[in-house]
Amino acid sequence: MVVSSAGAVTLEWNALRSSDGNFRVRTLGLCSSIALGMALGLPEGKIIALDGDGSLLMNLSTLPTIARMKPKNLLHIVFDNEVYEASGSKKTATGAGTDLVGLARAAGIENAHWVNSVDAFAQTAKRALSGDGPSFIGVKVGTERASVAPYPIDEVENKYRFIRYVEKSASIEILRTNLPASYD
Amino acid sequence: MNSTEAAQTILKALRGAGIELVATLPDINLSELLRAVEESGELIHVPVCREEEGIGICAGAYLVGKKCAAIMQNGGFFNSNNAIVSTLLQYQIPLLLLIYYAGDVGDRTFSTTGSLTEPVLQALGIRYYVMRETEDAPELIRRAQIMTEDSRRPVALLLTKEFLGRRAALKAL
Repeated sequence: MVVSSAGAVTLEWNALRSSDGNFRVRTLGLCSSIALGMALGLPEGKIIALDGDGSLLMNLSTLPTIARMKPKNLLHIVFDNEVYEASGSKKTATGAGTDLVGLARAAGIENAHWVNSVDAFAQTAKRALSGDGPSFIGVKVGTERASVAPYPIDEVENKYRFIRYVEKSASIEILRTNLPASYD
Repeated sequence: MNSTEAAQTILKALRGAGIELVATLPDINLSELLRAVEESGELIHVPVCREEEGIGICAGAYLVGKKCAAIMQNGGFFNSNNAIVSTLLQYQIPLLLLIYYAGDVGDRTFSTTGSLTEPVLQALGIRYYVMRETEDAPELIRRAQIMTEDSRRPVALLLTKEFLGRRAALKAL
């Protein structure tokens, strides 16, 4: 299951790997918190958060909370382009020197690394997914935008499709009829 | 009822409503409840650093099948408003909000926070109930959980001092 942040990362990820197991986040900052909730609620699933620097900077308190809860099944990836690209490319604090991997480590996420090549990213992500988390990967990326289609579904459809995906893949029932309660 | 007994009653009510995960941030008036949550080990307990995180955590856990509650002070409810609007309301995700009502009638602290709590809930279209009798906890928490699931919107319970019980440490004052 993949949770992607408000911003370009969502559109680019869905152009690459469209799936009902993708959940798009609209609240800037909340991507890693939603992913943490999924990881804690479904310990047998693997959850990947695709975050951005502007988003993580808005919700830095997520790092100590992830470190405290220690979800083994959470991989938090931050694509750091040092600007609020979706909002007009003003510089973020990482563009002025803030080190997000350093912050993750200081918060208590020991398995936190910068990667500086596509190969290193693939290796580190693979290792993180096969071992115990929580893991944090920082990737410095450029600001070129891929030309991709708009997100094809609205938020409510995204919710239902995602829940149905979880029900099927985890063999659990989440959405139940409310009928019996109304006759209490 | 003292706050320790009230905490046990409320915890039992949460379990009775099917709650499995709580995201919390302390207020002194919530301390016995949070202690009961922690000590019981019956719920997944996520202590957060800022309440808005807790809205995201509960939303994520809901999407994978957990019934959740966020426990906070009303100042934390204000901290959470962007997440409540653009995650809970936008995606129609249910959530039980248990909000300590600082600045309630007769409270000498946070009167501005208290005076704006109900208007903001009303503006957001969030149905809420002011909880005063601890004995109401099992029935009203159960009903509020049904309401949030059925409406697919958050429902708030405003927890007053009398609902949370007398705090032993303050009796001498």
